[in-house]
Amino acid sequence: MIYPIIGVTLGIIIGLYLPLVPQAYVKLLSVALMAALDSGLGGIRAAKEGCYDNQIFISGFFVNALLAVFLCYCGIRLGIDLYFVAVLAFGLRIFTNIAIIRRLYLKK
Amino acid sequence: MFQGKQAKILMVFICMILGIMLSTQFKSAENAKNSITQQRVEDMAERLKTSEKENSRLNSELKKLHEQSGSAALARQLRNLQAKAGELPMEGPGVKVTLDDSTVVAKPGDNANLYIIHDDDLLRLINELRAAGAEALAVNKERLLDISEIRCAGPTVSVNNNRFSPPYEIIALGNPQTLESSLRLRGGVIETLKFWGITVDVKQSNNLLVPAFKGTRHYDFAKVKEGDSK
Repeated sequence: MIYPIIGVTLGIIIGLYLPLVPQAYVKLLSVALMAALDSGLGGIRAAKEGCYDNQIFISGFFVNALLAVFLCYCGIRLGIDLYFVAVLAFGLRIFTNIAIIRRLYLKK
Repeated sequence: MFQGKQAKILMVFICMILGIMLSTQFKSAENAKNSITQQRVEDMAERLKTSEKENSRLNSELKKLHEQSGSAALARQLRNLQAKAGELPMEGPGVKVTLDDSTVVAKPGDNANLYIIHDDDLLRLINELRAAGAEALAVNKERLLDISEIRCAGPTVSVNNNRFSPPYEIIALGNPQTLESSLRLRGGVIETLKFWGITVDVKQSNNLLVPAFKGTRHYDFAKVKEGDSK
């Protein structure tokens, strides 16, 4: 459990020194962030359930994030607010993931 | 939990990406809070454009209605009233008075305030011009009306809520001879000002222009008395 925490803190510190994201890309980044958070929590849940697979986790992380960004970008181009859809979907998944993780912890 | 060293490194790497995204997102959210959003700027620009368009449309409509409305006599009366209200630029003979701060260096112990132009200097000069029959007055191209103030505003003088600093250029339309001699009376305004070294330059001219009043005036408190037309 120590590695993810090290990674996140390292990332936050690096991120603070990176330049600002242009205003136009903030929405895309927020969708990618939601996807990444969802994947991360999904990984923890899988680890708790005992079926964690490194390849599934890594591919899921990148593919989910990129797909979400792509969809959101298409939505902006087409004038459809797919941004909200993506945020809502990932938000729901994050909540279910957290709920399952909580249950697994309590059962132990 | 994880198999092998490679997996751990990957794990750290991925979590690092997550962290980077978190903090950049946080930073840009903070930034967006502090700056005016692009949307608002566009909104305001759009609103400005529409109101400008509306303004010019209404102006042209007003002009058209003026032309349509009534006889030549009414139009003449309107012009007359506009001229009296200072809404039209006026030209004619008059004097141009230029005032500038004193070139005399204040002696030690002297009050430096005495050597600069004050609002009351301007007021006295303009009062004198009015008494001599000036028909239209302007200070630094700002038309003087009955509602115009001339007052001290720190190092500047405020006229019609616009601030001016020396040199002041007063244009008065009227009989040039009368106007100038009223200023040059012995013991009069110019003599007093000259005493303190303030440079006063009076020039007569046959073709001076006094601009129209640029502001708007409202009657918030005063009302026309009913049934009492002139």
